[in-house]
Order: sequence, then structure tokens, then C-alpha cells
Amino acid sequence: MESLSNEAFTPSIREYHPRKLARTYYNNSDIDGGDAEELQWINGTQSYENMINMTKNKSGGHDHHHNDHQQGLSLITLLMECAVAISVDNLEEANKMLLELTQIASPYSASCAERVVAYFAKAMARRVMSSCLGGGTIMYSPLLQTKAILSAFQTFNTISPFIKFAHFTANQAILEAFHQRDRVHIIDLDIMQGLQWPALFHILATRPEGPPHVRMTAMGTSYEALEETGRQLSGFARRLGISFEFHPVGRKPGDVDPAMVQTRRGETIAVHWLQHSLYDAIGVNWKTMRLLEIIAPRVITLVEQEMPPHSGQFLERFVGALHYYSTIFDSLGATLGCEDVNRHKVEHWMLEREINNVLAVGGAGEEEMFGSWRTELVRRGFAQVPMSGNSMTQAQLILNMFPAMHGYTIQQGDGTLRLGWKETGLYTASVWTSPRLMRYSRSD
Amino acid sequence: MDITLQAQELHYLTLSQRQYSHEQESMQNPNHHHQQHQITTSQTLESIDPSASGKWAEKLLKECAKAISEKDSGKIHHFLWMLNELASPYGDCDQKLAYYFLQAFFCKATESGERCYKTLISVAEKSHSFESARKVILKFQEVSPWTTFGHVASNGAILEAMDGEAKLHIIDISSTYCTQWPTLLEALATRNDDTPHLRLTVVVTAGTGGSVMKEIGQRMEKFARLMGVPFEFNVVSGFSRLGELKEEDFGVRDDEAVAVNCIGALRKVSVIERSPFIRMLHHLRPKVVTVVEEEADFTSNLDEFMACSEECLRFYSIFFEMLEESFVPTSNERLMLERESSRSILSVLACEGEGGGECERREKGSQWCERLTGDFSPMSFNDDGVDDVKALLRRYRAGWALLPAQGTDATGLYLTWKDEPVVWASAWKPS
Repeated sequence: MESLSNEAFTPSIREYHPRKLARTYYNNSDIDGGDAEELQWINGTQSYENMINMTKNKSGGHDHHHNDHQQGLSLITLLMECAVAISVDNLEEANKMLLELTQIASPYSASCAERVVAYFAKAMARRVMSSCLGGGTIMYSPLLQTKAILSAFQTFNTISPFIKFAHFTANQAILEAFHQRDRVHIIDLDIMQGLQWPALFHILATRPEGPPHVRMTAMGTSYEALEETGRQLSGFARRLGISFEFHPVGRKPGDVDPAMVQTRRGETIAVHWLQHSLYDAIGVNWKTMRLLEIIAPRVITLVEQEMPPHSGQFLERFVGALHYYSTIFDSLGATLGCEDVNRHKVEHWMLEREINNVLAVGGAGEEEMFGSWRTELVRRGFAQVPMSGNSMTQAQLILNMFPAMHGYTIQQGDGTLRLGWKETGLYTASVWTSPRLMRYSRSD
Repeated sequence: MDITLQAQELHYLTLSQRQYSHEQESMQNPNHHHQQHQITTSQTLESIDPSASGKWAEKLLKECAKAISEKDSGKIHHFLWMLNELASPYGDCDQKLAYYFLQAFFCKATESGERCYKTLISVAEKSHSFESARKVILKFQEVSPWTTFGHVASNGAILEAMDGEAKLHIIDISSTYCTQWPTLLEALATRNDDTPHLRLTVVVTAGTGGSVMKEIGQRMEKFARLMGVPFEFNVVSGFSRLGELKEEDFGVRDDEAVAVNCIGALRKVSVIERSPFIRMLHHLRPKVVTVVEEEADFTSNLDEFMACSEECLRFYSIFFEMLEESFVPTSNERLMLERESSRSILSVLACEGEGGGECERREKGSQWCERLTGDFSPMSFNDDGVDDVKALLRRYRAGWALLPAQGTDATGLYLTWKDEPVVWASAWKPS
């Protein structure tokens, strides 16, 4: 790996000289790979060096793109300095750097690094302005333009395997939990458009013992959207010959009174949650956990984004987010051209939104957000169920559907399955069972 | 600039906003004022529902401008906050307009317009190369007649006025990097009579690097050689304001016929210097002066922030929509044009005085007519010229049309986009 000297920087950013950045050390045993290493801000350099690797590994070396990549690198460096300025509350300096970044970086560049910078700079500008305005107590942007965002989510599902990975590995675990059960109840904590469930219904319908009676409790904040999803799923279940009940709950799980969730004796309950940063899907974290304890499901399927918690320091969060989203941008860039409209749609309507939310100034209650749900579940006595070999097979099958499959990686570890791109894990799927159940037997 | 002073300003702003909220809300619940802000904001946001109606940006921006002109601090913060949540420079038109106007409004409210503008200009200058600037202009001309309209109309008027002259001197005050002149050179070369000698003096407005003009000059000389047109290329630079220019700067010779070509030039002259500047042009004794300007009025409402904002919003809404429909969604060239517009918006709305060198106080065709009449009288475009423009428009997508100026004192041609006049082209001779 080359050391980066000033010559590598694009001559156009002449005034800028890299300053020494503060080193922060932190120990975090939740870091992937298990080792509780001392991580300096070199963790940031790690992302930085990944950027260099990313951009150097790009194919197509004609001059124009080479210049783009060089520019991408120097922009990342300026972005990092800006993040440091924000972390020490030097908004004036940050603003100056953001003016430069937002004028130069293009989200349509051939360089993934530059695209990432364009969106991160914009998110940071939003945060700085929000700090200046004395607001910033709302972490998640109010959800308007819902249709566009959900549409982008669907497009993401088509061009990238991450969502399918979440759905199919979870479905596998749920299927196993429903083995030889004839009354089942699925509780989806954030159903969106219910993209996950048709595939499960299909498998349930073709079980040797025949389909179970299926109840579904769906949570989400728009009652209208829930009803629509319910109509779609009911129609689908009917066509498959599954007897189906749909219960919409127009609340976030953290706002739900447990009495709103009817459970019946003898039914097998599965709770599912796919974490994202598009909007605040969960609400009050500890209340959601309490709801889970009360419901005592046979299986909880959880898919988490691998990012530092929102309650941490800004710089830590920034570096983690930069690493995380750079990886996603890179995975998209590996198969889709820089002018691809679907790629732009996902990057603008979905990823930009997430980045905005992840970098936002937190509000009241952010300290109460769980860093890692897996850790919390352990603390509350839930028992982890290791992902089965079948889940691994499912994951592999999905990857085979995608052209850039050699870049996507599946890792098994600690009973979880992690899907990522190259060395970076992005989504981690895990399965849990309620502490109140005495035994959990899994089909072989 | 004094950084500590700026930081103090920003902190003061933050503090005063918090104080304001505290005064408004009860002190019992420390989180109450945050929630209150959140609730009223959510209500207002929900009442907008962008997925239903299209034009949420216009409504929000107008409300914000109103709050600024009324100096209603609470409302200003409220609307700026909302715009901040919804805006994006990478989204649809509403999101873009919200983003760039938010920047201008914020600078206006915090009186940081000039500082911000200076930074933006210096960043833009550093990152523009000949290649990138050329790419933007050429792509723009390929997908839209916005600039080529003025070129074709002006060339027609110049050729007509200079017919029969042996020595031509064109003084070009524009920012289209000489993309206008190849067609004119071609026309000169293919005329029946002897090819005249052409001198081209380009006035370089601030922001165009020396290396850019050198490249352009070399290309023009090469092209003229190919066309067989005796050609001389000069650059006038080294001044900070167009209003500083004097007749002597152009080196006009006695035996040449002078044409002055002003494409988007007059609006760059600071308002008080416009009349003297026009008089100075008159002293050059030109055969023709071509004036092309964008159809917007940012001058007569200098003291009324709301009126100025509305006109700015009107014009740039049209411009951004036109850009969105003309370019592909992922066009870097379109992004450059939008960023350029954002600097103009900032300079018009948030800069007192003349915003660091170049002000973009546009005026409408009718206003320019008033200024030019006296020293000059209008020349109408001949039929050939008008036909050329019509032929040009046919090469682009539907939506563009030609509209001759109407009314007793009106002169010139308008380019219209979806029936809105957007660019005005005119020709003048000294009276």
C-alpha cells in the first residue's frame, strides 16, 4: 500500500494541507472479528485505505477515470477533516470545508469514493445547519415522499442481494421453528410492503403436512399502507390455499401496548425485524424489548446493520458509517455503470436518506437506543439459536443470482450469518428464542 | 476573515434560538420545547404531503421569504429547519430548489452571504478547467437552445450590419467561451465577396482563468486558418468589474467596423454603472450592438426581499425544470449548471452591495430597452435571421418557441420554454 503524499492530491485543491488529526482510542469487544483491539483513529485510516484499495482496484484505467479516482481520494481526506471539525463543535471550520466539498463532489462520478463524499457532505451540511438552527433533536427525518423511498427500497432489492439475504435466511429459520405446527403467528415489527412473506407462504403451502393456519400481526406507522399490504398478502395467501388472518397495528413496536398484540394458546409465534436507517421503525427501544419478553415468541429473526451505535461519539459513528456506506456504494458500482438510473435512485432515495439519519444530531432518548440488539437480547436472557446449514445454503443460493457474486461474502460466526462485500460485513442475521420456553427443538 | 468572530456569530444564533424556544415553552419539561417544535413541524410537514401535490418547495420557500422580510425569528428558524429536512441537491426539482434557496436564505438570515459567496467562487475557479467548462457549455448547447438562440440571433444581426465591410472588429463580452464564433467565421468564409479580416477581442469576466482563454484563443486561430479567414485574437482582462472598462481598453482602430456582442454581459455590470457602461459602448461607434439577456427582474425589487425572492424562485423554477427535462438524470453537466445557478441565487438574495465582484442582477428585455434607448435605437432582425433561429429551434425537443417582442416600444426576440419567455435577444445601432 502506497503512503499518501501530497502529490497524490488533485492539484485543484491547492489550499488544503492535511493537518494532524486527533487520535482517539477505544476498546470495543463487539467489533467484528472478536478481538478487542485498541483502535486508534487509524480505524478511520482503515476506511481511508479501503477507499484507496477500492479506487485502485477499479477496472477501466483510462485517464478520465483515473483523475476521478484521484479526486475521490483527496475528497475523502477533506471529508474526514470536516468530520473532526464537527466532532469538536468547530462548526465554522466545518462549514467552510462543506462549502468546498458540496461544490466539487459529484454523485454521478465514476469514482465511488466521490459519490460517497457527495452524499456524506450533504448529510453533514444538513447536520451543521440543523445545529446552527438550534434544532436537531429529531434524529430521523419525517417520512414524506414515502412512495419514492419504498420504491427505491424495492429497486435496491432487485439490484443487490442484501434484502433477499435478510428475507430468505430469516424465512428459513422461521420455517424450521414452524415445523409440524399447525397454527402460527408471524409478527413483523416493520412490515413495509411485506416483500418478505410471499416466499415463506409459498414454502408453507407446499409443506408435506400441508399449510398451517397463519396469523400475521403487522406493525408500521401508516395505517393506510398497512391495510394495502394486508390486502396484497391476503390475496396471495388465498391463492395458495392458506387460511390467513391479518392484523394491522398502526404503531411502532416501542409504542405498542402489549395488549394490542393478541396471542392465542397453542400458536407458534415468530417475530421478525430487518433493521434499517430509513426512518425510526422501532420507537422506544426498551419498550420493544419488553414487548418481546411478554410475547415470548418461539423464534425471533433479527437482521442488523453493522454500524456503530448512534449513542456513541460522532466521529466514531462517522467513521463506521463511512466504511459501511462506502462498501455498499462500491458493491453497486461493481455491477452498475455511473449513469445507471436505478443505481442513482437507490443512492439518492435510500442511501442518502440513511446517511442523513445516521449522521444526524441525536435527540432526547438517543442514549437509550441499543447499540447492538444481539447484545441486548443476550442481556435479557434470550437464547441464541445458531443459524442452520440450510440458512447458509439459502444465502449462497441468493448470491448465485447476482452477477458480482465474487465480491459478496458470507461469513459464519457466533451462530450468526453475515453478508457483506469483500472484507466488510454489512448485514448480520441471527435467530433467538424466548427465555420462557423450556426447549426449542429444530428440524434436522 | 476572523474565524473566531464568525464562530461567535453562529453560537450566538444558536443560543438565541434556544432562548427563544425557552421563552415560548414552559420550563417544567426540559424536553417540551423540542417536542413542541417537532409536533408543530410535523403538522406543517404533513399538511404539505409532497407525494400528493407537486410544488411543495415553492410554498415553503415563499413562507420562509415572508418570515425573513418580516424579521420573524421564530418562523425563520421553523421554515429553515423544514427546508433543511426536505432539501437535496441530488433529487427532484423541488428538492434542488429547496436546497439552493435554503442556502441563500440561511446566509441572508445570518448575514454571511458575502463570505459564503467568496468561498464558493474561489472553489469553483480552482476546480474548473478548460476541459470541464467546455464540456458543460457544449453539452448544454446540445440539449437546449438556451445559449445557442442568442448566438444565432446575434450572428444574424452582426452579419447584416457588417455586410460589405472589409475589416471587422467584434468585441465579445460573454461567458460562452467563443462557441458563438465558428458559425460566424464559416458564414464570413462562404460569402460571395472577399473574405473580410476579422479581429476578435474577448472580454474576460472574472472567474475565467488565463489558461482557459489561451486554449480558446489557440482553437479560434486554428479554426480561422482552416476557414481561410484572416484573424486576430485578443483578450481584455485584468479588471475586477466590467464597469471599469473604458474605450481605450478595446484598442479600436479607425478603419474597422465594430460590433459589440453582449451575451449575458450587461447583467454583470453593477446597477449604478449600467448607464455609463452603455454610453461607453456608444463611444466605440459600433455598427451594431447585440444584447442577449435572460428574462428575469432582480433589480426593481432590490429593497423588497419577498418580491425579489419570488421573482428569483419563478425564474429558477423554470430554469431547473428545463434542465431536468433536457438532460439525463445523472448528468454532471447539469449539476454544474445547477451549482452555477446556486451561486447566482446566493449573490442576488444574500449579498448586499455587489457581492464580491460580479453581481447577477438581471433585468427584463423591456427594462434593457429603456436603458439602451437614447444612446441607441433598435435594429430589427431580418427575415433570414429569424428563419435561422426557427431552424435552430426545430433541432431541439418540443417546448421551445420564438416570440417576437410585442408592444409599441418593445424590440427583439424572445425564446420561450413552455410559453414562458426565458431569453431575450436584440440588436441596436447608435442613434
